[in-house]
Amino acid sequence: MESNISNALVLLAIGMITVFLILALVVISGNILIKIVNNYTPKPTKKFSRNYRSATVTAPETLAAIETAVETVTAGHGKVESIQKVEN
Amino acid sequence: MEVLNKLYEMTAFGAIGEDPSTLVMLALALFLLYLGIVKRFEPLLLVPIAFGVLLANFPGGNMAVTPSTEIIEHMTILEIAKEHGIMNMLYYMLIKTGLLPPLIFMGVGAMTDFGPMLRNLKLAFFGAAAQIGIFTVLISAVALGFSLKEAAALGIIGGADGPTAIYTAIKLAPNLLGPIAIAAYSYMALVPVIIPLVVKFTVSEKELKINMKEQDKLYPSKVKIKDLNRTKIIFPIVLCAIVSILVPSSVPLVGMLLFGNLIKEIGSDTNRLMVAASETIMNVATIFLGLTVGATMTAATFLDQTTLLIILGGFIAFAISIFGGIMAVKMHNIFSNKKINPLIGATGLSAVPMASRVANDIALKYDDKNHLLQYAMSSNISGVIGSAVAAGVLISFLS
Repeated sequence: MESNISNALVLLAIGMITVFLILALVVISGNILIKIVNNYTPKPTKKFSRNYRSATVTAPETLAAIETAVETVTAGHGKVESIQKVEN
Repeated sequence: MEVLNKLYEMTAFGAIGEDPSTLVMLALALFLLYLGIVKRFEPLLLVPIAFGVLLANFPGGNMAVTPSTEIIEHMTILEIAKEHGIMNMLYYMLIKTGLLPPLIFMGVGAMTDFGPMLRNLKLAFFGAAAQIGIFTVLISAVALGFSLKEAAALGIIGGADGPTAIYTAIKLAPNLLGPIAIAAYSYMALVPVIIPLVVKFTVSEKELKINMKEQDKLYPSKVKIKDLNRTKIIFPIVLCAIVSILVPSSVPLVGMLLFGNLIKEIGSDTNRLMVAASETIMNVATIFLGLTVGATMTAATFLDQTTLLIILGGFIAFAISIFGGIMAVKMHNIFSNKKINPLIGATGLSAVPMASRVANDIALKYDDKNHLLQYAMSSNISGVIGSAVAAGVLISFLS
């Protein structure tokens, strides 16, 4: 029994230290990763103006809907730069 | 008369009369079904578990899981199916091999967003503090006469993570799988009761009013994320490498969680895989996990003092874990200018996202502008990683 309790105490120490160590590494590596990704993120070359108005799309809510749809479909990679009416 | 006798023998009445303890198990199954269906306590898992208990305890149905013996372990799947029925086949194929919990973790990963954690990385530490319940109950259980392996499987209930508790029980104490699964999922369902209870006795009103957004404005983070999408794709790969190197025994759980998350974050290119992981595979795994775990609970294996101790020990582990997270926040607040609401510590349990929702609701009661869900999710998600790592440590030391 006594040896089991001392083993349990060892497990408490090792277990908690390991969990803290892993999560500390998660925090550190997360911060490093964010800095690296920030450095390699290309600066936007052409910014889409929210004031842009095409001949056909004028309502701000329509504009917001298009932007949201593009962001969802492209998983955040695509950006709306201009809107043009396609003549059929 | 002989025909009537044969008819009587064909039914289960005779066997139930011979062993009335079966009735207790049938009543327990009905009670669990009531909790799952009427009270909506984790119905996705409690209903299959309860139905598994029901199936296993009707005599003659051959649906109860036979405890593992050397003979069974050397039988082929076909032989197990023929001699012990399909439930044993499923149990020895899917549970005994430890297959289902990692599959469920893959689904959980495919539904998890690491964004809140990346935006508030420092809060991840509270997910570590909230694992203290696992190890303190381990010590108490050993003192009560459990073996180290059984005590570890019992303590892991404090991680508040069903699949992790089941996985650890399979590896360390398969004889206790049924009661551990029931305790883990029951307490997870009771998170909306247990967290407010612990918070009530440990956190002051002033602390509950700490507004996280205002603290962020006063002490803004030095690190700003410019491209969250790209970061979220690389993060699971980096995290998998760290965990795999340091605690390889937790890789079946954490690795599958991170794989599920990666296929979610890649987006439309792997969307089909994400849907399969989070819906099809997850649902199939949940059904078989619930039914087979439920089928391990027969009167012979469930109705004893050990079960009661597991139910009690599980609750204490759960409460101590919440308490540990809260105390860690309080310690932080003593030494830091930027204060953190102790509710963030209370969500260091796994139980995603229920623990975060409960914490958010409590905060809103004291300040209707204090929406701390995103902050709570950070420690909540790190709690999933923390409990899987704790399980990995226990498995590698004890198995």
